[in-house]
Amino acid sequence: MSLALLLEEYDVSTEEGLAKALSEIEKEEAEVDEALSSALLRACDLEGRLRTASQAYSRLGEIRNDAHSASDMVDKTAALAKDVSAKVRQLDLARSRVAECQRRVHDLIDLQLCSAGVEAAIKAHDYETGAGHVARFLSMDPGSVAAARARGAPDPRHAMTRAADTLREHLVRKFEEAARKDDAENVERLFKLFPQIGRAEEGVDLLAKYIAAQVSAGCARVLRDLERARPLDPGNPKRAPASALAAEPVLVELAKAHNTILLYFAFLRRNVQMDGVDEKTKQTNQEAIEKIIAESGLMRTAQDLLGHYLKLERYFLEENVNKALKMATPQAGSTTSNLVDDIFFIARKSIRRSVTTGSVEGVCAVLNEAGALVERGAAALRRWLRPAPEPVRWPLPPNVAPAPALALAAPALPRLYKDADAQRELFLAHMNEAESGAEWSERLAAEACEWGSSLSGGEGARERLISCAGGLAGAAGAYRAALELAQSALRAALAPPAHAWAARLAAPARADPPEELEEDADALPQALDVLVEDLRASLSPRCADHVLTGLLNDLADTTEARILQNHYDMPAPGRVGGQLRPGGARTHRATEAGRRPPSAGAAAPRRARAAARTRPGHTGAQVTTPSS
Amino acid sequence: MEDYKFLFKVVLVGNAGVGKTCLVRRFTQGLFPPGQGATIGVDFMIKTVEVDGEKVKLQIWDTAGQERFRSITQSYYRSAHALILVYDISCQPTFDCLPDWLREIEEYANNKVLRILVGNKTDREDREIPRHIGEDFAQRHGMYFLETSAKEAENVERLFMEIAVELMEQAKCKELPKYDGSLGPINGKTTSVGDSSCCLRS
Ligand SMILES: Nc1nc2c(ncn2[C@@H]2O[C@H](COP(=O)(O)OP(=O)(O)OP(=O)(O)O)[C@@H](O)[C@H]2O)c(=O)[nH]1
Ligand SMILES: [Mg+2]
Repeated sequence: MSLALLLEEYDVSTEEGLAKALSEIEKEEAEVDEALSSALLRACDLEGRLRTASQAYSRLGEIRNDAHSASDMVDKTAALAKDVSAKVRQLDLARSRVAECQRRVHDLIDLQLCSAGVEAAIKAHDYETGAGHVARFLSMDPGSVAAARARGAPDPRHAMTRAADTLREHLVRKFEEAARKDDAENVERLFKLFPQIGRAEEGVDLLAKYIAAQVSAGCARVLRDLERARPLDPGNPKRAPASALAAEPVLVELAKAHNTILLYFAFLRRNVQMDGVDEKTKQTNQEAIEKIIAESGLMRTAQDLLGHYLKLERYFLEENVNKALKMATPQAGSTTSNLVDDIFFIARKSIRRSVTTGSVEGVCAVLNEAGALVERGAAALRRWLRPAPEPVRWPLPPNVAPAPALALAAPALPRLYKDADAQRELFLAHMNEAESGAEWSERLAAEACEWGSSLSGGEGARERLISCAGGLAGAAGAYRAALELAQSALRAALAPPAHAWAARLAAPARADPPEELEEDADALPQALDVLVEDLRASLSPRCADHVLTGLLNDLADTTEARILQNHYDMPAPGRVGGQLRPGGARTHRATEAGRRPPSAGAAAPRRARAAARTRPGHTGAQVTTPSS
Repeated sequence: MEDYKFLFKVVLVGNAGVGKTCLVRRFTQGLFPPGQGATIGVDFMIKTVEVDGEKVKLQIWDTAGQERFRSITQSYYRSAHALILVYDISCQPTFDCLPDWLREIEEYANNKVLRILVGNKTDREDREIPRHIGEDFAQRHGMYFLETSAKEAENVERLFMEIAVELMEQAKCKELPKYDGSLGPINGKTTSVGDSSCCLRS
């Protein structure tokens, strides 16, 4: 604040105003003093800074000089580096040239070695090494050879080509030799060398020729077989085989020949599939090959072969089954029969052989034939089981005269045998045969399906096989029918004792003394034991069980009918009940025992039957000895 | 297991080229195949039809007419329930061979088999066998007779349906079948294929 203003603001006329102005002036003075001293302080600081700045400036000049010289250096270094890298590049080039040079030198050395090596290898019959040399030659850089020639060396290719040609000639000759000798191993070995000497096509041609020759040789063999088989024509009396036995080796050959042709066709089909071509081409090839196969003479031959095979197989089956039937025809005194075993042995043999033809068609046809013949066995059994046998032993009740009842029961059919025991035994043997015939029919059909399942036979082959096997399995029905016939014949033959026992059980009144009645109660169980033993001795468990159940049902029915007819006095029911109870218990025991699991029944009829025959000792334990 | 009550096997025989395969395909697939090739061995087709509300499965075996397949085809006669013997009405030789075919049937087929004589290709203009000649032949040999055209689908359905009806009637007459030992063509067979074949169960 200027003094004038100050004087204006304060009234300096008064002391008080003056004093105020003075204090104000003093305050101002103090402020100015303070500002002055701080300015002085800064002046010092600024001085110091100025000094530093001037020092820095002088150093900056030095740095500039240094930078200049550094930049010069860098420029120089760059020029130097450029120079060095150009030299390195030159070096690289030189080195690769050296490498190429080395390779060519190697090639040239090899080239000489190769032509010499091929000749040596040919001499040593080491064609693999020879072919290796040629392969090396073929893989060589053409430049090497050219370079060699450019230097005025004799063209090494001439020697090499000559050597390669010699090797090729050798390979061809050796291949043809191996092919002639049918030496498949060498054929394969030599074939693999052709691609190595750059002659893959030629190798394929040679192999094709070899295979073609093989096939035609196979055909020739087939034809020879055919010629051998042809004289055997069952339909022509002049050329009929001497026996079914004589037909067998021919059958085996025919089946094999047929299979060989099928295998060859399969080979052709497979080869078409293997070619690495697209789907469409594959399809076309497939169709083409099928057409070739279908129209080939070889296919005709296969069909003729199969036809001939089947004709002969039918003859074999017929002859053998005829023989089996003849041998099994019941003779006076014979007690055993092998008809079913024989027939199924033959059928099985034929069916198995038909599988070796390789065609479902063949298996189906043989199954059809076998089915027919197997049914003839069932028909024969039926015939033999028709006459009812002398009843198996079921003792009559005490005091019953057997003659009139039995005479009445015996059917008025011609008796084949004098010996009643033998006749009965044979009848039971035939029953067993009928049972195992049914089992065999089904088992063989299942086996045939299994054997045939691996064969290819076009679409529907499996259905055809199953249907034809079903025909064979159907023969089981014929055997079962024979078995049922026999079972009812047996029941009919046992009707008289059943009636006699029923009459006795239901008798309204008897004046027997009590101890006799006591004994009487045991009579039926004992008689039943005899019957059970008898049946078990000769029949399979299942069969015996079936017959027994039937008989006991008959007995129960007849007794019941009797009881309903009779008139009883007061004590009678107790007595009748007393007689029935042990009988009932025994009945139950007999059928229970019969239900033991059949031993190996379905698996092996022959053994099952043998087992059934050895049963008596077993069932003997069931017989209760009379206490008298 | 499939649902059908009866299964019958029907076998077609006759000279090559008379149209057996065409008849079967017309019936089973409803078409007339162009360029039908000769049959090799035997072919096998199935069709289920309905007779009086009951399902009847016909298993049709189409045999090759060519001589060299004879021993294969003969093996199928025995189990046939019906045999269809076909000739071509426009080709005399196929008719002339009929007695040979009958001899074959006599030898290999079951004597109770249902036999049907069929003159095929009635659509053709160049007929050589008048209808009544065929009819006479059939009558003389105890066969049913029908003329068909596989091409025009004439009488084809009828042929197989009548066979189905006839076989079913036969089968019903023999209900409660007891095996009679003479390989009756129907009884036992209807069940044998459907029930007891062990293969079918696998
Ligand atoms: N016009 C005419 N041609 C038919 C008829 N049925 C079949 N054909 C022809 O007859 C030829 C032979 O027919 P297929 O059915 O193959 O004869 P196929 O009896 O089965 O002969 P194979 O199998 O060799 O025994 C074919 O060219 C058919 O087109 C028909 O009803 N009318
Ligand atoms: Mg055909």
